[in-house]
Amino acid sequence: MAEVDPTDAIEFDRSVVGVDYDVGSHEVTEEQVVGFAMAIGETNPFYLDKEEASKGPHGVLIAPPAYYTSIRLQPGPDPQVKFGTTSFNASQHCEFYEHMRVGDTISAKEQISHVFAKTGRTGTLVFTVRRTTYSNQHGRTVMMVESSNVRRDMTQ
Amino acid sequence: MSQVYFEDVEPGYELAPLIKEPTREQLDAFTKAWGTTTGRFVSDEAAQTEGFTGVILPGNMSMAFLAQLMTEWAGSEGKLKRLEVDFRRSILPGDRLSCEGLVTDTEVEDGENRVILDVYIETQKGERALQGTALVILPNKP
Repeated sequence: MAEVDPTDAIEFDRSVVGVDYDVGSHEVTEEQVVGFAMAIGETNPFYLDKEEASKGPHGVLIAPPAYYTSIRLQPGPDPQVKFGTTSFNASQHCEFYEHMRVGDTISAKEQISHVFAKTGRTGTLVFTVRRTTYSNQHGRTVMMVESSNVRRDMTQ
Repeated sequence: MSQVYFEDVEPGYELAPLIKEPTREQLDAFTKAWGTTTGRFVSDEAAQTEGFTGVILPGNMSMAFLAQLMTEWAGSEGKLKRLEVDFRRSILPGDRLSCEGLVTDTEVEDGENRVILDVYIETQKGERALQGTALVILPNKP
């Protein structure tokens, strides 16, 4: 007998899955790069010190890898999953191709790559996987992030 | 900053831990840089309605600590290519975090010196709050 996929029973907007949406662009500024690097406690002068960075291999300040988390974008596609009472970040997968540099204009596209349910001992969990791709003004992809968010019903 | 080379590492090589003790002020600076103004990362009250004792650190912030561990280790000639983590437990401001890495494999592929690592953040309670893997490219010894 074929196993029943618990995803079939979950109500969500299936039309957004696998479709890329433009979610805006962002100017990488010295203020934001330095502010972010300081909040994390970075010590690398290439992120913090304009003078030092200008003498380094990049010629300008570059952003730390996790800088993307401070980029404000328009809201991405929402699959409107009708399940659960709370949600959490379950995992994150980043691929870094090039540095983001001060002066870059980064544009982002976002898609819901996957929505799926899993049923285990603690009940059902519904995962939403969102993929965001960041490109620079030269049209090159600088990084990709896949975040998985989990919804669960805490009243179960 | 001294440079680590591909020839220096082999499976079993452990990175010197990066110790982080994020304060409430650092959390506030992070959420401000992020542009978050409400919810469990900003408001104790919001966090308490979700069953936490107070505000918790966003996964993004603790992941950034692991990214820092990787880039500081890789040095100016190395490069972090991939970071994948699972968020397993919440982290509170004031927790003492040990960000650690262990080399599990090395290979040369497509002309790249690839180093694969297990990475994790352990709290003062000995719990692994984040766990994942990373791929770092290192230069050859000159």
